[in-house]
Amino acid sequence: MGKKRTTSGEGRERQRLPARRFRIAAPRADSADGGSFFFPLLGLTDRGFSDCPDLKMSRVTTALGGSVLTGRTMHCHLDAPANAISVCRDAAQVVVAGRSIFKIYAIEEEQFVEKLNLRVGRKPSLNLSCADVVWHQMDENLLATAATNGVVVTWNLGRPSRNKQDQLFTEHKRTVNKVCFHPTEAHVLLSGSQDGFMKCFDLRRKDSVSTFSGEATEAGQGRWASLPVAQRCILRIHHSFAHGLMRDAESRANEAQESWGCPDYPLGLCSGPQAGQSESVRDVQFSIRDYFTFASTFENGNVQLWDIRRPDRCERMFTAHNGPVFCCDWHPEDRGWLATGGRDKMVKVWDMTTHRAKEMHCVQTIASVARVKWRPECRHHLATCSMMVDHNIYVWDVRRPFVPAAMFEEHRDVTTGIAWRHPHDPSFLLSGSKDSSLCQHLFRDASQPVERANPEGLCYGLFGDLAFAAKESLVAAESGRKPYTGDRRHPIFFKRKLDPAEPFAGLASSALSVFETEPGGGGMRWFVDTAERYALAGRPLAELCDHNAKVARELGRNQVAQTWTMLRIIYCSPGLVPTANLNHSVGKGGSCGLPLMNSFNLKDMAPGLGSETRLDRSKGDTRSDTVLLDSSATLITNEDNEETEGSDVPADYLLGDVEGEEDELYLLDPEHTHPEEPECVLPQEAFPLRHEIVDTPPGPEHLQDKADSPHVSGSEADVASLAPVDSSFSLLSVSHALYDSRLPPDFFSVLVRDMLHFYAEQGDVQMAVSVLIILGERVRKDIDEQTQEHWYTSYIDLLQRFRLWNVSNEVVKLSTSRAVSCLNQASTTLHVNCSHCKRPMSNRGWVCDRCHRCASMCAVCHHVVKGLFVWCQGCSHGGHLQHIMKWLEGSSHCPAGCGHLCEYS
Amino acid sequence: MVSVINTVDTSHEDMIHDAQMDYYGTRLATCSSDRSVKIFDVRNGGQILIADLRGHEGPVWQVAWAHPMYGNILASCSYDRKVIIWREENGTWEKSHEHAGHDSSVNSVCWAPHDYGLILACGSSDGAISLLTYTGEGQWEVKKINNAHTIGCNAVSWAPAVVPGSLIDQPSGQKPNYIKRFASGGCDNLIKLWKEEEDGQWKEEQKLEAHSDWVRDVAWAPSIGLPTSTIASCSQDGRVFIWTCDDASGNTWSPKLLHKFNDVVWHVSWSITANILAVSGGDNKVHTHSPQLGGHGLLVFTPPTRELT
Repeated sequence: MGKKRTTSGEGRERQRLPARRFRIAAPRADSADGGSFFFPLLGLTDRGFSDCPDLKMSRVTTALGGSVLTGRTMHCHLDAPANAISVCRDAAQVVVAGRSIFKIYAIEEEQFVEKLNLRVGRKPSLNLSCADVVWHQMDENLLATAATNGVVVTWNLGRPSRNKQDQLFTEHKRTVNKVCFHPTEAHVLLSGSQDGFMKCFDLRRKDSVSTFSGEATEAGQGRWASLPVAQRCILRIHHSFAHGLMRDAESRANEAQESWGCPDYPLGLCSGPQAGQSESVRDVQFSIRDYFTFASTFENGNVQLWDIRRPDRCERMFTAHNGPVFCCDWHPEDRGWLATGGRDKMVKVWDMTTHRAKEMHCVQTIASVARVKWRPECRHHLATCSMMVDHNIYVWDVRRPFVPAAMFEEHRDVTTGIAWRHPHDPSFLLSGSKDSSLCQHLFRDASQPVERANPEGLCYGLFGDLAFAAKESLVAAESGRKPYTGDRRHPIFFKRKLDPAEPFAGLASSALSVFETEPGGGGMRWFVDTAERYALAGRPLAELCDHNAKVARELGRNQVAQTWTMLRIIYCSPGLVPTANLNHSVGKGGSCGLPLMNSFNLKDMAPGLGSETRLDRSKGDTRSDTVLLDSSATLITNEDNEETEGSDVPADYLLGDVEGEEDELYLLDPEHTHPEEPECVLPQEAFPLRHEIVDTPPGPEHLQDKADSPHVSGSEADVASLAPVDSSFSLLSVSHALYDSRLPPDFFSVLVRDMLHFYAEQGDVQMAVSVLIILGERVRKDIDEQTQEHWYTSYIDLLQRFRLWNVSNEVVKLSTSRAVSCLNQASTTLHVNCSHCKRPMSNRGWVCDRCHRCASMCAVCHHVVKGLFVWCQGCSHGGHLQHIMKWLEGSSHCPAGCGHLCEYS
Repeated sequence: MVSVINTVDTSHEDMIHDAQMDYYGTRLATCSSDRSVKIFDVRNGGQILIADLRGHEGPVWQVAWAHPMYGNILASCSYDRKVIIWREENGTWEKSHEHAGHDSSVNSVCWAPHDYGLILACGSSDGAISLLTYTGEGQWEVKKINNAHTIGCNAVSWAPAVVPGSLIDQPSGQKPNYIKRFASGGCDNLIKLWKEEEDGQWKEEQKLEAHSDWVRDVAWAPSIGLPTSTIASCSQDGRVFIWTCDDASGNTWSPKLLHKFNDVVWHVSWSITANILAVSGGDNKVHTHSPQLGGHGLLVFTPPTRELT
């Protein structure tokens, strides 16, 4: 504020200030201990108006005490963009003010109805260009507006004439950003302006009663002086910057005003308290509870707390935001809470009761905060809107500062004014916007981002482990209360609890756990082990099969192991399947009984019946079989087992039979290496030949287990495994025995194909590919190329995921599919630089794009190299391998003469 | 038995909305309402915080790891309408790209199979789905499907690169002509399947209708040896459907109700071999299913209860 700006108003101000200071200073001491205190200019005592009979008249009971508001979400079009709105205390009318609009609308149930246009006169003056409007909360007829030209106008709706203008205060030099009526005092109006002053008006007088300056206060001066010079300058510059921004925001009328009214502050003039005077005021708000207190916010990020009786200095000042503080709002119930919103996109809630303002909450919004309003009846809720970018209105729970509790998305342009319709009704919000519309929002129609938010995260890890994140409070709540408070399908549960803040409370944390799923149930450890240990080539087929069977068995994957064993039999001993064998199995089937089977189960089967049986069985009936076995097994003890061993005739018979069989096989199978193997193999082949392998699950497992305890239980195993199957298939097997026992391997190809498909469908593509590789040409032709390729690529992908690079490479190499075996080539890239221009060769071949020369010239013999080409990665020169080797034996420099010290390794 | 290997102390200040393991299962990325994305090293049951990524201005809904062949890349999407692609360079994670092409909250992100290049699909509450394709040198090309789902899109999931029947006699060595497809689920209760036309435009291929409320998640099953295309979907209506398509043209999809829960079902997730589906619902439990076996609720997981202090 330069001295140049001495207008008449300023002059008056100057004269009055010291006088008042004198008058107030004296009784100040009394006021501290609550004693009676003379407040001369307002004609009041601090005990309040109740002591003053003449003031009682203006005091009105709370509007609409018990009645209920009704209405719906609705909007109406305005003629011009709104800058601010304010609600009448009857909650039935709203005033909308803007640069070229000033109207009162009645809020009816279904619509807004225009009631009064306050913009009268043929040539609307700048006084009507409103930056802010406020409706008195006690007097329905009293309104005040803040004009962009610095004028504060009051309006009396009770005036009979068309022009309702009441009083005009032309004391501010620049845009008045905010006007505010005293919450309980009928005649007191406060204004805050861009010019850095706040003025308090008594509406019964023609001019302001006191002026508060943002900086030129005693306290402020002291603070200012104590700052180092450098910091002062920064503040100054910052202010100018903010000022520059303001110019965009303010109306053009305001700019016109500026051009004649207040020259811009030059940057250099920042010495002394005078320059600090004019920190623009963005908001002023009377405290609701403290009669004499008001808060003001400034463009430099400060918030000041004033006692209205002490214009000389503020009671308290603190920096609340980084950048301008655009708005503030006192909490309607909590005496000490002040919410402030700034350009730094934050809303902060301060506890002003403590000696130093304490930041209680901080809400981060998406865009700079233009307005903030506490939601009635909801202690922790406040509504905000932004002045740029974001057109929505948000309602936040300050305890949950990251997610808005509700969001209103009706506006198409920046929302400029928000107001709760009634000070005790939390569900109606009114808003005005730059998009020239006035809206009534119903809280229940708001979109609630929290409701939409996913409260759980779930992910399958590579090894079948599950990561699961869930709301922690839910977990805790389960012990006792209703588990899921966010449940959409229990609206009644919600409604009854009228505090809308409740569903929110405490829902703000999650627990994240990683589960290990049952091995085989999804765990993938077996996959890695199997992949690493399987042998796929380099040995005779039988050995490979045996080896893989052993691997599978050791990993507890009995079905897979059995499949390998069967493959071995099918393909390695063609013609060796003796007729006797088939007959033998039939005989066994007929002779075995349930008790035997059970005893077996008890002893050997139970551990083997792991997860795999559950997973790998595709048929429901087999599954039930398993269950049956398990349950019956539990009933029978080991004693039973021994009993059967000793007494059961069929068992004895079988035992001998099997052993005999074994010998036979030794003789016939030259490739045989593991003496134990055939025990489990032999009885087996009778079934798979006649029906799908997948249909014989109990058999394989039993047999495997037997391998560990070869003798007594082994024989039982045979029987047991046959029991469930043979009862139904014995006829078939008999007829089968009539065929020629020397079946060609082709005979099984359909079966093997089906088996591979089965495994693939189970997700065990590993098995499918391994078998494909090992059997090679034997099965290849039976499975269509695409499927094979798909299995290969899937398996290779999986291997790479598990970082089993070597296995993956081996699979690629061994693959029978052309498209797969070329994968290795495709994934190798050589980056080559042109030996002339030193730039990367972009195209294929050896001709450089840029210098159009062949890059593969030998630096020694200067011929184009065909065949092996070696080059230095440092200088890109190279040539025939032989030539370069020879050259580098004699010299360490590049043969091209580039001076590079090449290295051949 | 189900056992908890690890309870990760994420120190997120608000609710966690997504957790994703990376391709190799060694790192876990989480995102929360507190606007942050965190990455943990979870090898051997550990939990070491590797990165705390700040940059979003609203709750972060979902994260997605790109295939490691493109480097360490993580995409996140947020209520602040932005999609951020984070990249690890020399051990530090930094924002590599920010996509602000949506008018409302971005709810889902999903990377395309690596065979297609680096392509990210993003589904937003503004009803649109955008596809970001990396064109090299830090540039991303954006294609947008407007009005993919009225009211909003909640989930996107890519079809595996190898769709059965799509590999029709490729001359070997030549790059196969993949047909890019993805599924999306939205607030219109629909699941839609999208297909890239030859001119590079995305066209709605199928509309799958069965849910009676918002579709919360869709998951296209990995194609490991499966002869069919399979999609799992879950919804606000508590139902989980398994959609299968047997025919090569991909036109006939049939739904099968896997289970009806009494609460919202938020997530469906396939195991990598696609034989198990994990489902998480409003009851705060995870159920695993094996659709091939028709088994329901093989296992039920409940996070360990912790007393709130």
